[in-house]
Amino acid sequence: MRRKTGVLAAVGVAVTLTAAACSSGSSSSNGGNNNSNTNAVAFNAGVTGTVNASSQKGGTITFDNSSAPDSTDAGNTYYAFNLNFTRLYATPLVTYKASTGAGGDQLVPGLATALGTASDGNKTWTYHIKSGVVFEDGTPVTSQDVKYAVERTFDRSVLPNGPTYFTSLLAGNAATYPGPFKNRAKNLMGLTAITTPNPTTIVFHLKQPFASFNYVVAFPQTAPVPPAKDKGTNYQLHPLSTGPYMFQSYQLNKQYTLVPNPKWNPSWDPQVKQLPSKIVVNLNVNANDIDNRLLAGDIQVDQAGTGVQAAARAKILSNPSLKANADNPVTGFMYFFYINTKVAPLNNIHCRMAIEYAANKTDLQTAYGGPIAGNIASTAMPPTVKGYSKFDLYNALSKPGGDIAAAKQQLQQCGQPNGFNLNVAYRSDRPREVSSSQALQESLASVGIKVTLKGYTSANYYGTFAGVPNYVHSHDLGMAAGGWGPDWPDAYGWGWALYDGASIAPAGNTNIAELNDPAVNSLFLQLEAASSDSAQNSIAAQIDKKVMQDAVILPGVYYKSLLYRPTDVTNVYVQTYYGMYDFATLGLKS
Amino acid sequence: MISFIIRRLIAAVFLLIIVSMVVFGIFFILPRWGGQTTYGLATEYVGRNPTRSAVLQMIDQLGLNKPLYLQYWAYLKAIVVGGHYGTGVNSAYCPPPCFGYSFKNQQPVWPAMVSDIPVTLSLAIGAAIIWLIAGIGIGVVSALKRGSIFDRFSMTIALAGVSLPIFFTGLIALELFSYKWPIFPNVQFVPFTENPALWARNLVLPWVTLAFLYAALYARLTRAGMLETMGEDYIRTARAKGLPERTVIFKHGLRAALTPIITIFGMDLGLLLGGALLTEYTFSLHGLGLFTIEAVQNQDFPEIMGVVMLAAFFVVIANLVVDIVYAVADPRVRY
Amino acid sequence: MAVPIDVASGPGGPAPEEALSVSDKAIEGRSLSQIAWRRLRRDKVAMAGGIIIIILILIAIFGPYLVANPNTYHSELIDPTFSRPKGPWGGISLDHPFGVEPVTGRDMLARIVVGARYSLLIGFLATALAVIIGTVMGVIAGYFGGWIDSVIARLMDIFLAFPLLVFAIALVGVLPGSAFGLSGSNLRVVLLIFIIGFFAWPYMGRIIRGQTLSLREREFVDAARSLGARGPYILFRELLPNMVGPILVYATLLIPTNILFEAALDFLGVGIIPPTPSWGYMLSDAVTQGYYAVDPMYMIIPGLAIFITIMAFNLFGDGLRDAFDPKSR
Repeated sequence: MRRKTGVLAAVGVAVTLTAAACSSGSSSSNGGNNNSNTNAVAFNAGVTGTVNASSQKGGTITFDNSSAPDSTDAGNTYYAFNLNFTRLYATPLVTYKASTGAGGDQLVPGLATALGTASDGNKTWTYHIKSGVVFEDGTPVTSQDVKYAVERTFDRSVLPNGPTYFTSLLAGNAATYPGPFKNRAKNLMGLTAITTPNPTTIVFHLKQPFASFNYVVAFPQTAPVPPAKDKGTNYQLHPLSTGPYMFQSYQLNKQYTLVPNPKWNPSWDPQVKQLPSKIVVNLNVNANDIDNRLLAGDIQVDQAGTGVQAAARAKILSNPSLKANADNPVTGFMYFFYINTKVAPLNNIHCRMAIEYAANKTDLQTAYGGPIAGNIASTAMPPTVKGYSKFDLYNALSKPGGDIAAAKQQLQQCGQPNGFNLNVAYRSDRPREVSSSQALQESLASVGIKVTLKGYTSANYYGTFAGVPNYVHSHDLGMAAGGWGPDWPDAYGWGWALYDGASIAPAGNTNIAELNDPAVNSLFLQLEAASSDSAQNSIAAQIDKKVMQDAVILPGVYYKSLLYRPTDVTNVYVQTYYGMYDFATLGLKS
Repeated sequence: MISFIIRRLIAAVFLLIIVSMVVFGIFFILPRWGGQTTYGLATEYVGRNPTRSAVLQMIDQLGLNKPLYLQYWAYLKAIVVGGHYGTGVNSAYCPPPCFGYSFKNQQPVWPAMVSDIPVTLSLAIGAAIIWLIAGIGIGVVSALKRGSIFDRFSMTIALAGVSLPIFFTGLIALELFSYKWPIFPNVQFVPFTENPALWARNLVLPWVTLAFLYAALYARLTRAGMLETMGEDYIRTARAKGLPERTVIFKHGLRAALTPIITIFGMDLGLLLGGALLTEYTFSLHGLGLFTIEAVQNQDFPEIMGVVMLAAFFVVIANLVVDIVYAVADPRVRY
Repeated sequence: MAVPIDVASGPGGPAPEEALSVSDKAIEGRSLSQIAWRRLRRDKVAMAGGIIIIILILIAIFGPYLVANPNTYHSELIDPTFSRPKGPWGGISLDHPFGVEPVTGRDMLARIVVGARYSLLIGFLATALAVIIGTVMGVIAGYFGGWIDSVIARLMDIFLAFPLLVFAIALVGVLPGSAFGLSGSNLRVVLLIFIIGFFAWPYMGRIIRGQTLSLREREFVDAARSLGARGPYILFRELLPNMVGPILVYATLLIPTNILFEAALDFLGVGIIPPTPSWGYMLSDAVTQGYYAVDPMYMIIPGLAIFITIMAFNLFGDGLRDAFDPKSR
């Protein structure tokens, strides 16, 4: 499923969520503890190492967010910033290493003693839970609590937001299991695909081999939840903590406060720290306000984690002392346009290729924010995905202003020499999409393709409009603006939901291009059946090439964000997978 | 007198019911005009990423397939009696007055609105006091000193005030007095009960921005009204009788000039209580205005309906109060 | 025959001889409109406002044909790192007298001119709608009185009870992207005209009703009635012409309110759809995206445009009101 992007509270503010960041930084591996690379304060210091390393405790860290998490319940969230943040109070079985660079994409044990042991050809995965783990109220954590945590996510009417990998991968009665909320007596612990032979062992039985299963388990959906204390949709008001912090108070959509969890033991998750004596999160704050408060030192972190707006960007880049406190990491996120394969005349591949050639990639890049916002993209997967190979089928890099001649040639071939009419959908409350759609409209006009822009609110974009194939067909939405971050850093985690024919859904569709290429589908199957890393990488490259040949995506940029770290925050670094600062290591200098 | 009040009260209740019917009807009929299906409508009520069965369940639960008048009746009933939403562990009880349950935010609409009311109240009433004093004061002085430098100057400023969009002035105020010169840094709402001094200080900029617009308007209105009444014969009579000038101005002149202003004030305050959208948006104050904007952003129908009803309620109440004040103050009004 | 104005004693009114001849056609009095026009002409400030309005209307009608394409990108004029125009003052040059937009490099002059068209179009049409409905309803209510008056008055109460901004946002949010055969920007424009006009009519309605109430007791109405005139004749030939003054005045004062209202809707993102230019949207862009910090002209120019337009209407409306009402000076 796609990595959901943030919903905006204030009009006109883009909050985009990112996943893996990749920069060639050194990674350390000393027993899963933090990145040992410490850097002095300088521009991009947080991208290659930790700034202000310190073990000083105390102080209050304030997070501001221009919107709100989809849910504070770790089993009901999909936003990247929240996957990052929930580790403060919900520890999954496995987690990502606290490191910059390639190390940050590696999985390390969380509540589990080790990464899962695969058996039966990658169809069965076994995890052992560390001993002595308890909830914040002292109740011991058992494997049944982990099973329940996964089970409860099956009821999408109660917990609709999280990823759906468990529902699609697990064997047994997973396809029909209704979740433990309805008919609780019968359905509690009723998911047959997960077995718990003893209180510290949990076994997952899959329908088909899945080499990347550890990545699925890294989602916070595996953070334990005690069945007796579950409150369904209201559990988010005070989830029981297994992490260094626990909830003190929560005013829905306004503010929540965390305080240190006295029962926590650092050995349960060596990647996180328990330094501040209080964490406050303010929700639905005006985005420009956030930037100004950040620069003034009134708050410490922007929880959305996608970087500053234009005004702050200008201030930071033109002031050397401010610039030294900024980082410009690659986020692992891409902006692009989906090109539908069913809406005429785009069902003819040459018409789609014409669009690929004609678009003015530089204008698109400027619309997204210029070179600071990332390099022009030419592939269907970003460089942060394992197996990425660089190629440029449509001269995006060699002729970034657009290749009008080649576009016209393609138009001839598809039988529309004078261009055609095209509807482009976008989210009207995402300024980047507003700008980029208009840029696209202008550049396609030069080859006679007349674009009509159709704006929708992001709240419904995937659920009711662009993500509903019937709507797309009946309204001739040939293209749709989009952004994407991978669920995990390999080609499956990036591309399955976007390009595999099996992922097309009647609502909430992520394969908006409706690509159903048997070659691509079979490559994905091979990917998960592959036994070695090099085999996986080569298949990933093939998927990328084939998707670009099918011309179903007009790549925009490999997105980079501009982040700001106030000088009093300690242990700041850009975690590769989340593509933003690691929220679980921060402390405060007094 | 009492019967007058009772009659107006009944009229107000009647008005509210009609407004609620219209709002309800519009939110259910209009989308259908635009081609929305019941299924599509139901997806507006379910949380994000709805599955087909969740949507169908919602249609059942909300009775979206039932005829309109039944749905409206259910809505009214919920306001008085409360409603149940969801099942089992996940059931939510929405206590009366229940203006619906927001599935997107997973909370009943009423408590969410109520928690925002203090912000809007603080903003509206504070600004109202400022603009009444400033606007009427300046208007009176301008009228009395007609043609003077003060008059010309203040009327020019007033004209500018009504010609500038409030989001423009608000932003300039923020940029200058909060970011550039940190006289009012970190403008965030602090409840009065928590820290009255900080509450007031953080509201100064929004108050002044909002009040500037209205003060300009009221200054112009007051001046025009004063000029009109001061030219009346009975003023000359009062002066001829030897009454002190101050009595003439305030007891006779201003009192008469204020009549239309009271009407407008009631209207303005009523509207503001429904949410000073632009001001709240510019200053990030979480009042009913921002609540409305977010509800529309999220296409959260229960919340949109709830806040529209609440806003209409304030307007009707404000008009009712104005009518009663009129009846008391102005002997010409027959009741 | 039109009635001479109610003259209070004092300079500025018509000479006493004119006021006396009501029915004597030999000495024809000046009509109300003529008198008002003379006074208006003497009010320099109001005339300035009026001239500005005329200029704006001309710009709105003819301007778009004279300026460059408001949608053409000029990325070469933008500094990509900061997304702002390269030159100072927002990139003002001979080619681009008002500079260019950040990010896109679109010509600001063109966008302001085309934006003027939409702002004025919506402002005028919405006001026209409100005036038409309001006048009709107000006159009927005032003239016939009785239960008709009560019904219409209650109707006005209902409409006034709706919180306009809240309701407009909600409505625009609820309606889908295409309906009634229109779509995109055109649909929005029609929608905005209807919403604004539909909810503003009670303001006009109340005023007209008040005017009708006071006018219907006058002698000239009795006179007409005694001559055998019936309802509709009296309404349209006697009452309405005498209300042209107030109608005009309040219409002129309603237009800026509606323009501001439309700008507010654009600002909140529920107005005109891009890439169609609109002043409110440009302001909103400048404010919420923070472009005002890197390119202040992007905020100042649309802000000034709105300001000057509103100011002009207010000045002219004030002058108009002064001209029609001899008591206020």
